Amino acid sequence: MTSSFPEEVLEHVLSFLTSQTDRNAVSLVCKTWYETDRWCRNRIFVGNCYAVNPRILIRRFPDVKSIELKGKPHFADFNLVPEGWGGYVYPWVVELARAYPSLEEIRLKRMVVTDESLEMVAKSFNNFKVLVLSSCEGFSTDGLAAIAANCRNLRVLDLRECEVEDLSGHWLSHFPDSFTSLESLNMACLVSEVSFSALERLVARSPNLKTLKLNRTVPLEKLSTLLKRAPQLVDFGTGAYSAEFRPDVYSSLAGVFSACKNLKSLSGFWDVTPAYLPVINNVCSQLTSLNLSYATTQSPDLTKIVSQCCNLQRLVVLDYIEDTGLNTVSLSCKDLRELVVFPSDPFIGDVDVQLTEHGLVAVSEGCSKLHSILYFCRQMSNSALIQISKNCPNLTCFRLCIIEPRAPDYQTLEPLDTGFGSIVQNCQHLTRLSMSGLLTDRVFEYIGTYAKNLDMLSIAFAGDSDLGLHYVLSGCDRLRKLEIRDCPFGDKALLANASKLERMRSLWMSSCLVSFGACKLLGRKMPGLNVEVIDERENVNSIPEYAPVEKVYIYRTVSGQRFDAPDFVRIMGKDKDAVYNLS
Amino acid sequence: MTSSKTIVLRSSDGATFEVDEAVALHSLMIKHRIETGGADSTTIDVPEVTGNTLSKVIEYCKKHVEAPNSDDLKSFDTDFVKVDQAVLCHLAKASYYMNIKGLLDLSSKTIADMFKGKTVEQIRETFHIKNDFTPEEEEELRKENSWNLFV
Repeated sequence: MTSSFPEEVLEHVLSFLTSQTDRNAVSLVCKTWYETDRWCRNRIFVGNCYAVNPRILIRRFPDVKSIELKGKPHFADFNLVPEGWGGYVYPWVVELARAYPSLEEIRLKRMVVTDESLEMVAKSFNNFKVLVLSSCEGFSTDGLAAIAANCRNLRVLDLRECEVEDLSGHWLSHFPDSFTSLESLNMACLVSEVSFSALERLVARSPNLKTLKLNRTVPLEKLSTLLKRAPQLVDFGTGAYSAEFRPDVYSSLAGVFSACKNLKSLSGFWDVTPAYLPVINNVCSQLTSLNLSYATTQSPDLTKIVSQCCNLQRLVVLDYIEDTGLNTVSLSCKDLRELVVFPSDPFIGDVDVQLTEHGLVAVSEGCSKLHSILYFCRQMSNSALIQISKNCPNLTCFRLCIIEPRAPDYQTLEPLDTGFGSIVQNCQHLTRLSMSGLLTDRVFEYIGTYAKNLDMLSIAFAGDSDLGLHYVLSGCDRLRKLEIRDCPFGDKALLANASKLERMRSLWMSSCLVSFGACKLLGRKMPGLNVEVIDERENVNSIPEYAPVEKVYIYRTVSGQRFDAPDFVRIMGKDKDAVYNLS
Repeated sequence: MTSSKTIVLRSSDGATFEVDEAVALHSLMIKHRIETGGADSTTIDVPEVTGNTLSKVIEYCKKHVEAPNSDDLKSFDTDFVKVDQAVLCHLAKASYYMNIKGLLDLSSKTIADMFKGKTVEQIRETFHIKNDFTPEEEEELRKENSWNLFV
């Protein structure tokens, strides 16, 4: 049957198809569709900056307006990736500047960004609009000054948990007086004080400003002045939220908050003075997102606030909220979709904070829309996990961090296999899982059997043997990211499932039992993979082949091996000069 | 100010449709033809569109011109594209040639929704597209795509 598909409208149809996965499928349908897609695909996402190189990207997609790049693997957040490993954005910026002068958006995660790169971005793209840097490092406030001074059409400058060499707050004053296009500014991770008058003037001349996240140095007493200039804000992060209580400051602040009719999201609240918390009472019912993870105050204060947030969808809070506070959440926040509870003192064994599995069970019972959980606690039981799995069959993300490694079910002293097994069995939409506690190979059997939609799995101090790894690699059809630390997984499972690794984005294994020999074999056998052994030991060259490596990071790539790796990173099994290029 | 003038539209297969000028002008192609046309601008040929499709296009234009602010416009649009994929494709093509932005967006978005979550094979099958890659070419492309296939 001949196609009646109207080729003339394909480009227009594609403009409504934004998911990269869908665009990829479309591009493989036939030759004309491939061509049409490549000419009009202007948003690109690169999940691993070493999986492809700029040249290949540019050759395929001639007209890119927005690019997102991710560098280091996720376990870098736990300091498991040594300094100097890689993830440099500079080589990308050089090529992007040459190929895409009308590039508008750059989003980077866990990459090393230098001032030089930022200066190049600032000078190369006339219509640059969006810069989002998440968990990046390597730059200073001088780089930010270059962006501020040169990007006339900037809309978004969003620095999320970056490590910035903070030379001074003067960078903010580099935004010219003629600059009025700002929509979003997140400087929460910076430490230096910025000129308050420069900040106030910037806010005053930015009518489209919707997001403003201040850093700690902006004092509470000055918040009214800023908010008065921007009552249209949707997302606001305070600075340090502490001051001596003064009724005039209090009522002024309460007044300006009440005037923010569009406010939906609040964060900040460093060093909170509880007496000032009620200024937000009038906006609580508007809030869909509340981040109190810096609010180091006791449960009653936190509870009072959340009890008024009847439309809350996302709550991030410290364990100071305790079970009682979470119980209030379960009764008051019926629209809750995402819950994050961080530990106030993760390195101390025993704390006087009453946050247990009961809090999480309560929320799972009361909040039927809950689909994402990140929960730090000190005790868990199989029965609680089973209850949670039954209460929340629509969970998509479940990350449980029991602080003590290998902690068993505190009631029965058994492993938590059946609890997590219940999670994967009942939650068929689960795409992300992070486990903790005492776990045997059994739990991996459950995962391999039931977690068919699992996309990312994080494992630590778990399992008894290679069988555990084998269950996961052979059973989880949709698994793309697997990260493992301190588990007795070794060569056998890895080599037996080598071809699976080519269908994943990456595998990280540290402090496991994978040998040098196996890594070399894998690297040789699989040209489509880079097998990086990351080992900082001094005597690493004299360690026998059968001995385990410190860390191995395996990822799919069409770019061949990389040449920017430091001494302690060895790309195994590849001829030094071979580059696996596709012509 | 609506005129009571009518226009006749003639499809590729000779079917004729008499419509109010205001309705016909919803198509920018027709608007252009009328404005640049000569003496006989009361019959306009639309050779890219068959009678069946033209009839549906006119139905769309009528609704959008005569009741643009009606509450049920959205549900009209939703129901309008509940047709089989062949008809949908013809509508998209017609709206492209006749330069009717609203209908082009509506039909294109509906087609895009049909692509969502589908595999390559499923898309080919739904729209009867012939795969003109050789197996080697296809394998090469999948490999090249792999860095962003399972992103």
